[in-house]
Amino acid sequence: MKQKILVVDDEPQIRRQLKIGLGGYGYEVWLAGNGNEALTLTAQHAPDMIVLDISLGSEPDGIEVCRRIREWSQAPIIMLSVHNEEKTKVTALHAGADDYITKPFGMEELHARILAILRRVTVEPGTGMKPEIVVGDLRIDLVNRMVYVENEEVHLTPTEYDLLRLLATHPGKVMTHKAILNAVWGSEYSEMDHYVRVFVNQLRKKLHENPARNVRYILNEPGVGYRFVMPK
Amino acid sequence: MKSLQTYVVVLASIAIVTLVAILLRNTLTLANFTMIYLLLVLIVAISAGTIPASLSAIISFFCINFFLVPPYYSLLVADQREILDLVVFLIVAGLAGRLGSRVKQQANEAQQRAHEQALLYQLTRAFNQLVHPDGVYQTLTHVLQTDMRAVWVEILPMSTNSPTHDNGTVYYLLLQGGERIYATVSAAFDTPLTESQLALVNTCVSQAAMALQRIELSERAIKSKKFEEADKLKTAILQAVSHDLRTPITIIKSSASNLRQFHDQLSPQEEHEITETIELETDHLDRLVGNLLDMSRLQAGALSLNRRLNDLEEIAGDIAAQSWQRTRQERIKLCFPEDLPLVSSDYGLLRQAVSNIVDNSLRYEPADQQVEICGMIQGREAFIKIVNHGETISDADKANIMKPFYHGRDGHIGLGLPIAKGIIEAHQGRLWVEDTPGGGATFVLTLPLSEETSDEAKNTRRG
Repeated sequence: MKQKILVVDDEPQIRRQLKIGLGGYGYEVWLAGNGNEALTLTAQHAPDMIVLDISLGSEPDGIEVCRRIREWSQAPIIMLSVHNEEKTKVTALHAGADDYITKPFGMEELHARILAILRRVTVEPGTGMKPEIVVGDLRIDLVNRMVYVENEEVHLTPTEYDLLRLLATHPGKVMTHKAILNAVWGSEYSEMDHYVRVFVNQLRKKLHENPARNVRYILNEPGVGYRFVMPK
Repeated sequence: MKSLQTYVVVLASIAIVTLVAILLRNTLTLANFTMIYLLLVLIVAISAGTIPASLSAIISFFCINFFLVPPYYSLLVADQREILDLVVFLIVAGLAGRLGSRVKQQANEAQQRAHEQALLYQLTRAFNQLVHPDGVYQTLTHVLQTDMRAVWVEILPMSTNSPTHDNGTVYYLLLQGGERIYATVSAAFDTPLTESQLALVNTCVSQAAMALQRIELSERAIKSKKFEEADKLKTAILQAVSHDLRTPITIIKSSASNLRQFHDQLSPQEEHEITETIELETDHLDRLVGNLLDMSRLQAGALSLNRRLNDLEEIAGDIAAQSWQRTRQERIKLCFPEDLPLVSSDYGLLRQAVSNIVDNSLRYEPADQQVEICGMIQGREAFIKIVNHGETISDADKANIMKPFYHGRDGHIGLGLPIAKGIIEAHQGRLWVEDTPGGGATFVLTLPLSEETSDEAKNTRRG
């Protein structure tokens, strides 16, 4: 059965292109031009995925729609945003969005995001978790809490390991600074996002990241947080 | 009170002199006495003024006549010639008194004038340093209250209080410069002002008006300069829009119409090339529009920084990775020390600034070499150096490449570097370009380091 995607954007041309593009990838595409329509269609058709524009130009706006959908539906939501909207992106993520993509974007990029999210949500709880995560030269042994780069053991402090495990067990998912702080340090640290920066920096050095050669495991989401690379 | 005291002192001095003279009247002559009294009158004139002097002249005349000229204790004069002496004494004493008091008065006036001049000089100097009308009003109020002894000063229409002082004399003066009236000053004094005091108050007020006019004119000049710059930018943006933006649009349009018209004749290879061109040109267009927006935001002063403690190496790493993704080549080398502290900055904007500089440097980097991005701390500043090994930039170009829309060495619309400079200056940092030893350009940008950021960073690292 085809998976259903609801596209919500106030711009008809964008809706049309997304219908062509996503249809081309084999999805069944539903279109909504405003927030109320989006809420109705979500209720009627239970889409497997919602692509939702942050600024809909009318009430309710994208973030409000996202919040309302989250009150009763767990359908994954990807927000469409524009540059210089870091704070809005963070708000959207905290309102329950799963990811965001910045306009203008390529259809391949959007499809990759959709696949990553669908893969995460379709994994049955308890069955999807592998005891080992391998990305490029990096191998994380979750059972023994061991980390190897090019088969050589990397010594991490407990905090560094917790941080790496949190990111690596959510590959492709954007993790906000706040979410990372809450999970690794505890909620009382939720405003100390520079902690995350310092530890990510240390972690990257220990993992021998080399951005100039695109050897990277932890990707930056400027102003938002971090994202662990998707294993190929 | 003061005048009564003066008269008492005058009378007492005459009495003392007369007493001494009576004791000596057998030894000294009339000529001696008249001289002594003349001296007394002169002293009174200089120290107390015309009226006490005239009075003491007349009293002296009678004292001499009554006590010192035989027959004693009578106003009769025995020797007819002494009448002449006495009359001459009276005239001379009167004249000396007048003369003396005039000298005194002139001295007083000179002192007053010197005081006024000092006051005006001080006032002018104070007014010249002021850049805001409120400062002028405050200074004027202060001067009128302390130096001119006004009991109450209000600047109208700024003041909302109505006059509360009603037992004095209130003056209303206009703060007028040229055609324009800035305000009205109302000042109350305990006693009516003399003509010279009023003149001085008027001078103070007109100095204040001149200061207000000067401030207004300089503000207008600054504003018109800003308008001029904004206008220049607008023209430049229009030119850029018409030329630089149209190029990618033209390419996209022609590619799309080719695709539509000839899709059945095109080989898959050609079709792929055309669609790739559309995507590339769209990215190019997106960057241009982003730059234009940033530039106008910078020029309008509408850039708001979302400051956080950021890792400069992370920013450089992002840029290096982006370059790899575009070219699939390792064109950038990073060198950052282990313990570089976090720097308070806006991640997105700073990344944009560094990325613009790196893009510029990459354009001139020889194919077999790498652009270096290095971080370091010097004093109270964090430095990022972007080192390129291409051609050295001429001094003329060095001065110009940071200016918006300067068509540089390769005809690109020059927005990247001016935006970088604007962003860095918004962070209270600096950006300049040096020669790379052995050829090339090194861009140096600095960001201020606060005590707090470095301490915070150290603590974090320990934790």
